[in-house]
Amino acid sequence: MEKKFGIRDLITVGVFTALYFVVTFVVACLGFVPIFMVLMPLIGPIFNGIPLMLYFSKIKHFGMITVTSIIIAILMFITGHPYPIFIFCIVAGLITEFVLRAGKYESIKLCVVGSATFSLWLLGMVIAFFFSYRESYFASLVDGYGQEYVDTMMSYTPDWVFFTMILMCLVGGLIGGLLGAKVLKKHFRKAGMI
Amino acid sequence: MIEFSNVTFIYNATRADGVKEDTAGVRDLNITVNDGEFLVLTGGSGCGKTTVIRLINGLIPYFYNGELSGKINLENRDMREMSIYDISEKVGSVFQNPKSQFFNVNTTDEMAFAAENQSRDPQEIKTMIGTTADSLKIESLLNRNIFDLSGGEKQLVACAGINVLSPNIIVLDEPSSNLDHRAIGKLTDMLKLWKKQGKTIIIAEHRLFYLKDLADRMLVMEEGKIKKEFDADAINRLKYEELDGLGLRPLVLEDIPFEKTEETTPEKFVELKDFSFSYKDKLHSIDIPNLSIPAKCITAVIGHNGAGKSTLVRNICGLEKRCKGLLTYNGKSMKYKERLHSCYMIMQDVNHQLFTESVADEVMLSITCKKMNEEEKRKKAENILRDLDLGDVTEAHPMALSGGQKQRTAIASGIASDKPIIIFDEPTSGLDLCHMKQVADRIKELKRFGKTVLIVTHDYEFILRCCDHIIRMERGKIKESYDLNEKTVNKLRDYININDGGKENV
Amino acid sequence: MEMGLKPSTAKGVFRLDPRTKLALLITVGIIMMSGKYTGVEYTLRLICICVPFILLLSVRLYKSAVIAAVLLLATVLCEGFIIPKTSGLVNLLIMIVCGVISRFGPGYLCGWYVVRSTSVSEFVTAMERMHFPNVITIPMSVMFRYFPTLKEEYASIHDAMKMREIGQSIKNPFTHVEYILVPIMMSTVQIANDLSAASLTKGLGTGRKRTHICNIGLTPVDVGLIVIMTGMLALFFIF
Repeated sequence: MEKKFGIRDLITVGVFTALYFVVTFVVACLGFVPIFMVLMPLIGPIFNGIPLMLYFSKIKHFGMITVTSIIIAILMFITGHPYPIFIFCIVAGLITEFVLRAGKYESIKLCVVGSATFSLWLLGMVIAFFFSYRESYFASLVDGYGQEYVDTMMSYTPDWVFFTMILMCLVGGLIGGLLGAKVLKKHFRKAGMI
Repeated sequence: MIEFSNVTFIYNATRADGVKEDTAGVRDLNITVNDGEFLVLTGGSGCGKTTVIRLINGLIPYFYNGELSGKINLENRDMREMSIYDISEKVGSVFQNPKSQFFNVNTTDEMAFAAENQSRDPQEIKTMIGTTADSLKIESLLNRNIFDLSGGEKQLVACAGINVLSPNIIVLDEPSSNLDHRAIGKLTDMLKLWKKQGKTIIIAEHRLFYLKDLADRMLVMEEGKIKKEFDADAINRLKYEELDGLGLRPLVLEDIPFEKTEETTPEKFVELKDFSFSYKDKLHSIDIPNLSIPAKCITAVIGHNGAGKSTLVRNICGLEKRCKGLLTYNGKSMKYKERLHSCYMIMQDVNHQLFTESVADEVMLSITCKKMNEEEKRKKAENILRDLDLGDVTEAHPMALSGGQKQRTAIASGIASDKPIIIFDEPTSGLDLCHMKQVADRIKELKRFGKTVLIVTHDYEFILRCCDHIIRMERGKIKESYDLNEKTVNKLRDYININDGGKENV
Repeated sequence: MEMGLKPSTAKGVFRLDPRTKLALLITVGIIMMSGKYTGVEYTLRLICICVPFILLLSVRLYKSAVIAAVLLLATVLCEGFIIPKTSGLVNLLIMIVCGVISRFGPGYLCGWYVVRSTSVSEFVTAMERMHFPNVITIPMSVMFRYFPTLKEEYASIHDAMKMREIGQSIKNPFTHVEYILVPIMMSTVQIANDLSAASLTKGLGTGRKRTHICNIGLTPVDVGLIVIMTGMLALFFIF
């Protein structure tokens, strides 16, 4: 992989990962308003998709997206997100790699799909909420409320919410990708920057 | 020693919608640069001087695509056999735009960067950094955040980095573009130091005045070929008219004749009273008890970097809410919102103010009159564009245009906005003589339209060409404010010829 | 979110190698995540809660240290006293909030400490010492270097929008986003180009070994801390 990565590619990765990260961060900050927080997995990828599509258009070989996902994982980790983030980032990154490669790095439709799959890394930020939370909640409530209550609570809260989030990421990613494609066509292709 | 033999290079760059790239390549070039020589390359835009620089530092062909033929020998090795890594050991480069040429955030790291890449011993690198800081007196620039530095300071850091690496050949591509006279003084010191160290220096430039005593040879290029060659004696004997005829900026600033063509007596003024503002970091602030800017005239705002020119202009424009004090135009006092309605600024980086996908849309964006419908707006836009020589690119994407065209698009938007005050921020950065004259003419036209024009600039030649009034700032205060005429032009000349020891900021 | 630019502001004993900081992060993160209230684990958790507070103090981020202390103290008290006394919706709400803060707070605060106390060059040098490949360290350097530039570009574009009086209303959020994002994206492409050209002329290469003037190294304090962390993790997993 080293041979294929020239300095230009590495700088492209660095610069676009920075842009992507900042857009994610800004949108996430807006998510402090309670209503939006729940919809973050949907709204985030819609906005993220736009710079992401530009990034995809600059990618011509294997490995760049994976590096981006590793870097995002590292960034998330050093700001304190728990370790599952690594798994999600890398898996999302690898899936996206294969999606892009399938289109030989030239298919716009597959880039849009890639935008959806890449957004899955966001779930890594919330997965911890579901697992660990359940355990401790369980542990502390058993004494006060009895096993049945706890079982009922556990059974419906975390699971389906998690799956909805997966869906939200994918849908948001698709919309973001489509928006990104539109922006690319309207501006970048016309200006000859692609 | 560098030898070019029959070198031809043609760029592979045409835009998607057929708008051609301005940069030409070079054709059949034969140049020999001897060791220790100081060579100046100059000429109009697109003449090929930047291409020569890129051929020497290896960016052609490793970064820029195109067809290259001919042979280039660098210290007796064929450059085609060298990787850009090998070349970078021998050739150091300083670019035009300090903003995007550094890799690190910390100044000391950046100075060490090139040397680290060449795997030099860390102790040696640290010693070199110390020596460089000493000989250039830039200790105050060590271990700082690059983003806090002014343009001139950034260029100094870039040059220091090259000094640490100490390659034999140094190429510079329009290094003085964004610098004020004091910074250019420091750059000149740097070049003198390098010349004394015996380095081979090749510099591509428009602003020639600071190179007069350093140049061993000057090549004037046009369309990729060498038009004229001057050796050191010939350079000294060159007169202003000859340079002007060659399309070159003057070598000696004092030579520029000043003719005041029209006497304008301003009737109205933009008055500032108790105007003050300071940024949150309290580093840059302005404090102006009184200022009268003549309306419907062209006023230049001059001063060293950090003097507060941009701050002043941004506050006049209404971009800062926290501005204190009073601004009156036409007897009417204006708070920041009204100032936004009345001022249009052409920014230094025009790319930041182009938002739409066609030049016509861009201009129509500024037409906010609610009474006009789409048709009328379009007609108005097209008329303005035609007057500015942009009639045939109305449907092109603004980002596909050349720098000059983008600037004219921004000016067109300014005219379309019908705002009475137009502000320019360094409009002639990096422009050759011909384009600088064009900008001066456009600005004079704006005056004929009745606009009040404010220009922040370092460009002395440009000021002489079109400005009526001068405001000089220093450390946030107004030092002088005078009409420019034969009597007062000396004040301006004094300012340019000032050779401070460089007390604070560069 | 800005990385500190000068080398660690902590003095003497408290100057930690970036690798130690990473070890701290991992340990605190893991232990806090699956917190129980009883036994050995609880003691470990209490220790972990104090860690960010001490770290922040060591780099003189007093304001952050105080906020950390207040937040964590509040959660501990809540968990210990208020929760058993309340019930129903209030209980649920408090449990959620306390749960989130106590579980993730220390981790995030350690993260804040790492970000504020490590300079970019220290961080990248540490990564290279840990044998992270160039493919990762170079983009990370570029990324940190690009953050402030992005900020400047955004400020300039925002100024232009204000001056041209466009995109001010939230009526059409997508146009607003387009006006901001498109110039930023274009400038990103341009800067990526310029930066690549400049870096190439300065000899940056993927296959080469570089030297570093940045001083980082494991001191006895670092080693000691890493041993303690490993010990805590071991205890954690055993019980």
